[in-house]
Amino acid sequence: MKSQIADELECVKAKYPAERAALLPALYLAQRKYGWLSAEAMDEVSRELRVPKATVRGVATFYAMYRHKQVGRNVIQLCTNVSCMILGAERLVDIIREKYGVEPGGTSADGRFSLVIMECIGACGTAPAMLVNTDFHESLTQENIVTILEGYR
Amino acid sequence: MEKVLLANIDNPKSAEIGVYEASGGYDSLRKSLELAPDDIIETVKKANLRGRGGAGFPTGMKWMFASKDPKFPKYLVCNADEGEPGTFKDRPILEKNPHILIEGMAISGHALKAEFGYIYLRGEYPAAKGILEEAIRQAEAKGYIGDNMMGSGRNFKLAVHQGAGAYICGEETALIESLEGKKGHPRIKPPFPVNVGAWGMPTIVNNVETLSNMPFLMRVGPEAYAAIGSKECPGPKLFCVSGHVNKPGVYELPMGVTLREIIYDHCGGIKNGKTLKAVIPGGISTPVLPPDKIDCPMDFVNMPKHGSMLGSGAVIVMDESVCLVKVCLRALKFFEHESCGKCTPCRDGVSWLRQVLARIEGGEGRPGDIELLSEVAGNITGKTFCPLGDGAASVVLNFIKHFRDEFDMHIARKGCPIK
Amino acid sequence: MIKVTINGREVQLDKQVTILEAARRAGIKIPTLCHFEGLEMYGGCRLCLVEVEKMPRLQTSCTLMVTDGMVITTESEQIAAARRGMLEFILTNHPLDCPFCDKAGECELQDLVYLYGGTEGRFTEPKAKHPESNVDPILARNIERCISCTRCVRMCDGVVGASAISMINRGRHTVMEPFSGGKFDCEYCGNCLTVCPVGSILSRLYKETYRPWQVERTVRTVCGHCGVGCSYDLQVRDEAIKRVIPRIGEGLNRGLLCARGRFGYEFVGAKDRLKKPLVRRDGNLVETTWDEALGFIAAKLSEVIKTHGGEAVAGIASVRCTNEDNYVFQKFMRGVVGTNNIDSAARMGFSGAQAYLESLRGQGVSANVIAGLAKSDVIFVAGGDPTMVTPILGLEIRGAAKKGAKIISLDPAPGLEFFNPHKIVPSLFAEGAVLESLLCRAVSARGMTGELPHLEEAIRAAVSAECAGVAAQSGVPDAEIEKASATISGSQSPAFVIGPDIVQRADGNRNLFLLAALSYVTGGRIFLLSGKANEQGAVDMGCLPDTLPGGRPLAIDGFRKRHEDACGMSVPAREGLSLMEMFPAMADGRIKALYVIGENPAFNLPGGNSIKSALEKLDLLVVQDIFLTETAKMADIVLPALSWAEKDGTFTNLERRIQRVRRGVNREGREDWRILCDLAGRMGAAMEYASSEAVMSEIARVSPVHRDLHYSDIEAGAMQWPYHGEPLRGEASTVSLVTASARPTVGSGRFALLVDRPLFQSGTLTRRSKALLKLIPKATVKMNPLDAASLGISGGIVRVSSDAGSVELEAVIDSSVQMGAVKISNHFEGAGVFGLMTKPPVDPVTKAPAFEGCLVAVEPLKGDAKS
Ligand SMILES: Cc1cc2nc3c(=O)[nH]c(=O)nc-3n(C[C@H](O)[C@H](O)[C@H](O)COP(=O)(O)O)c2cc1C
Ligand code: SF4
Ligand code: SF4
Ligand code: SF4
Ligand code: FES
Ligand code: FES
Repeated sequence: MKSQIADELECVKAKYPAERAALLPALYLAQRKYGWLSAEAMDEVSRELRVPKATVRGVATFYAMYRHKQVGRNVIQLCTNVSCMILGAERLVDIIREKYGVEPGGTSADGRFSLVIMECIGACGTAPAMLVNTDFHESLTQENIVTILEGYR
Repeated sequence: MEKVLLANIDNPKSAEIGVYEASGGYDSLRKSLELAPDDIIETVKKANLRGRGGAGFPTGMKWMFASKDPKFPKYLVCNADEGEPGTFKDRPILEKNPHILIEGMAISGHALKAEFGYIYLRGEYPAAKGILEEAIRQAEAKGYIGDNMMGSGRNFKLAVHQGAGAYICGEETALIESLEGKKGHPRIKPPFPVNVGAWGMPTIVNNVETLSNMPFLMRVGPEAYAAIGSKECPGPKLFCVSGHVNKPGVYELPMGVTLREIIYDHCGGIKNGKTLKAVIPGGISTPVLPPDKIDCPMDFVNMPKHGSMLGSGAVIVMDESVCLVKVCLRALKFFEHESCGKCTPCRDGVSWLRQVLARIEGGEGRPGDIELLSEVAGNITGKTFCPLGDGAASVVLNFIKHFRDEFDMHIARKGCPIK
Repeated sequence: MIKVTINGREVQLDKQVTILEAARRAGIKIPTLCHFEGLEMYGGCRLCLVEVEKMPRLQTSCTLMVTDGMVITTESEQIAAARRGMLEFILTNHPLDCPFCDKAGECELQDLVYLYGGTEGRFTEPKAKHPESNVDPILARNIERCISCTRCVRMCDGVVGASAISMINRGRHTVMEPFSGGKFDCEYCGNCLTVCPVGSILSRLYKETYRPWQVERTVRTVCGHCGVGCSYDLQVRDEAIKRVIPRIGEGLNRGLLCARGRFGYEFVGAKDRLKKPLVRRDGNLVETTWDEALGFIAAKLSEVIKTHGGEAVAGIASVRCTNEDNYVFQKFMRGVVGTNNIDSAARMGFSGAQAYLESLRGQGVSANVIAGLAKSDVIFVAGGDPTMVTPILGLEIRGAAKKGAKIISLDPAPGLEFFNPHKIVPSLFAEGAVLESLLCRAVSARGMTGELPHLEEAIRAAVSAECAGVAAQSGVPDAEIEKASATISGSQSPAFVIGPDIVQRADGNRNLFLLAALSYVTGGRIFLLSGKANEQGAVDMGCLPDTLPGGRPLAIDGFRKRHEDACGMSVPAREGLSLMEMFPAMADGRIKALYVIGENPAFNLPGGNSIKSALEKLDLLVVQDIFLTETAKMADIVLPALSWAEKDGTFTNLERRIQRVRRGVNREGREDWRILCDLAGRMGAAMEYASSEAVMSEIARVSPVHRDLHYSDIEAGAMQWPYHGEPLRGEASTVSLVTASARPTVGSGRFALLVDRPLFQSGTLTRRSKALLKLIPKATVKMNPLDAASLGISGGIVRVSSDAGSVELEAVIDSSVQMGAVKISNHFEGAGVFGLMTKPPVDPVTKAPAFEGCLVAVEPLKGDAKS
């Protein structure tokens, strides 16, 4: 019974002198496949890399970008760190909350959006900024944010 | 000044290897491969190149330590974790000028006799991952890197390792742990990574910008390089400016340019004609400066003499509309969120600071809170495992030092006086 | 030589150590919380801060190595303030619920706060709340109290190698959790509990039942479960064991324990312990007095002896009783009854295997120190998972693997899965072919030294076949075996760990021969696993039909005579019956009386009803035990004995180390040896000892191996084979090797029945330990996923039937079970694996029953059949 992520993982493992180093990439692979890191997903990674599953979980929960519950179809990752904050990021949180009914850390009832508050995402010169899934959106305003988000179904 | 790190950056195809080659790309590598590794290290020492990751450690010295260690293989790791809030200087290199980094790493790999390189890329830069991997493929296809680089008999394999959202992984030993597939807990030092690093082997960790200086440095030679900018700390430097300036963005300027020049000459001054209230000169961990302290030369040697640090060169400019208690609180939220949890003072102390600040900001400050903040910060300072916790304490101490009034006012008026 | 100055005193050190260690050696104590001897360095709590001259910051003494000329100050106002600061930080997240915390009184945090003084409670923000987790049957987890020192994780991960828990999340939200977030589902060794400095990990066995300072007695003894023999302290209050705690760094276990050792003590205080002698009247067992009971036995036994001769009596000694008990027992049987029909459950594999290995390679061949495994570069594991059979020995293998030793496991050993084992999984019962192929290759790679000519001759005869050809029979690709062979041949110090599964086979002696030969050719050491506390002791005390105490064959007149002179009693010249030979003899009337101490043949021996019906034929069945076991229920007389926690004596572990067992709990009742002496007196023979120590003095006189060995010597450390004694030199001059087909032929059905040996259960005693019972509450049958699928089984109740009977059990799908096999354990009444076995064949060389692999059928049951 070969795991579905096994093939891709083989290429990843080849990059490192030790299998264990493939843990972060493996978690990404599992997350891409399942949408989030359920116990089963972590167990699968554990078996593939021969890293004990509690260790896998310890690592997976350390990093902010791994998801430990089901998330929406689109993940809004909005920065509220200082450069974004002083240029109005907090107001954007309110707009997202009001418009899509999603709280920071939560998911909208229709499963369309999850909202994650981010630390600096390296777009401070064009603040406020967000990542939706893997797309950067910068120089956000109270107006354009809605237009942008409407592009995600 | 000639743009070095950001050359070609306005060309929409700047990430293509052809564009890079057209402007002399990979010539430095060719030249360097003809030099003995130790001669390159000597050159770097002479040029007085200092690490651009934040601490400004002399790169040549670090390389010498690593080079002297008899163990092989050695690993060269590029720190592309760029997590210090306010910092976005490495991103244009990663996304728009990847070949300068690859060439820089190949030269450095040769100098260090390291045959394996990793770019530790923060998870928040998903686009850069694809760009870097494509650039690596191109460079390999052209024989610049990989086995037998340009027929030199030297090998250099390069791979991208993606982080997953942890500021602490910018700290080099935490980064190495993370590269090995572990949590980003900093390691006990000594031993230092140059002796015992990734997988127990000598490992050199350098910032993106540091490594990207190499093609230029090798092209012009140490003397010409050292002639740029500050005497004590020369070279081109990326400054990333955000906040209330007219023209925020990344600027490549000589080391030693003053903060005032950056804000007023290069970035067009404060937005909407407002007045400057405070500047964080080198990323959120560096001490905040009031408007009367901005005539400081921005380099690793001189900034500490002016009460702050160069850090990552991330200048955050704040005008009169900003509540500094709120900024301080936001900074502490960041540190609390990013504390790895390993050591007591950072894990529990920083959280305590944040909680007190939150109370003050929320209008529930009490007399004595500021003294409490100072004492708690004092109990953290100098006792943490790594600089993150110290940085958090220093943020609080410096905000209080320069803007105590604003804190007092919050407590007295039970809320923000600016609102 | 490194010289440092600590608090103005010069300290000399022969090697680089941490400042903390240097200070300790100078008698200076530095407070610590996250540091723990034997765990990986951490440096997180920041309590051990000290001043070091020329260093601007305070330094953590637990991580910084001394260098020559270093000047260190460990106490100053600055340091005290820093430590007070750290404690204050820790207390911002600590509930201070000491009044009802189990740890109060032995809490490291409490002690430190007491030492450095409390702070004025400047932290006025709300504290994080985490309700205590009590979902696990054994361990409670109170995360509010956790100080994130990670000692538990470093123990579980770095030392135990179970890696069942981790610190999850980060920063302030860091908490210790098992994978599930609730139940630990781990190996339940409790070693995390040993190291937790505060009351975050608690044993539910005694939680909130007493305070540490209320312990009345702490007694150092040895664990009574497996053959490793871990040291620990029993803590007793009101004549009940409150807990078992190991002493870090001490004993061969260095302070580590396994689940059975740490949590398997509740049987001692079980309600159904026997209290009074029982005698059968009108078919029922009724209480009686000691006097009457012993009088009855004396009369009845004398009668049997008089009518049928001593040889009509047989005795089964105990692998759970002390050396003293077993010595006295064999002396009673030989000297008073007049028979050599003595054996013990060690015959199930251990004793015959050892005797055979010794005949090939010399006495003491398996007397190797467990800690020595750490020095092996290759460890070959065959015949069972050492992390389950002998857990602490298993940890030693894991430790070696962590240091780079290569593990080769013949058949899966799930407990070694994360230690990079090279797994060789032959088709069922084809291990012998793999071993033969390995031996063949080893001989051609290494040649032979000529040291043991008769063994070499046998090896040459055994490996005449072509190496690869044999391998083909095993179903393992040749390249696999070649790889393993290269690993073994390249080893400087290989170790061969032999478990029971490979012995209890129709081809057991051949497997042993091949392993002995392989270890001989490669210069390897042998570790023979023993699942019971004193199997080795029963053997060394002469509870064998052919051997006297000290390993002397009784058939040799010289040895027998010398023994008779030394103990003052005569010994019959004829060898007796071995364990599995006794039952047919009972069935056909050659044996009329059976005396059993601390053993439960009706349940613990394979053969199903044939054992019981043999027992029914007896004129007299005497059982000494602590419980009314299946066997005791059939007895004419049952005598209540004392458990290992209630008596003094010694155990001999699998490395042949002799260790003291000490009385922790006072209980009315008699040691087995005392009962036997009383009985001997009533039968006209004088056997009197003032104490178990006096018994040992006689052993020291009688057994050449134990010569001059007294309790004082054992306690002083002269406990390692061959003590001051004299093992028999030389090996047997002929090699007996009987090749039989390995495939089981007993029974009918598609599946080979294997014995499951789980970590948490080992039979009668653990079944009465409530905590362990919770971990495996009912019997199950484990099977391979593919086999299960082919029968349409995905769990639920199935019927397993053999010629001997059938049981209904829950099916558990487990990919570590080989195709074509099913595994059932032997610890639940009415559902033990042995009950399903028809009379198994007996290995002609080891005399061990070849019960592995009797054939059974499995069928799914509709609905929820009762089991
Ligand atoms: C908390 C912390 C975060 C850091 N983050 C970064 C970072 O994001 N990028 C970086 O280049 N260096 C970072 N550093 C500095 C690195 O530890 C290291 O000094 C640097 O990568 C060395 O490269 P350089 O010599 O080229 O500057 C960080 C250090 C600390 C203590
Ligand atoms: S100061 Fe301590 S807790 Fe904070 S990030 Fe560094 S090691 Fe981790
Ligand atoms: S009981 Fe043993 S296996 Fe379980 S978590 Fe604790 S140390 Fe790990
Ligand atoms: S549970 Fe105990 S041992 Fe584990 S981290 Fe918490 S305080 Fe330390
Ligand atoms: S602060 Fe928001 S992107 Fe940097
Ligand atoms: S004991 Fe040294 S840091 Fe915890």
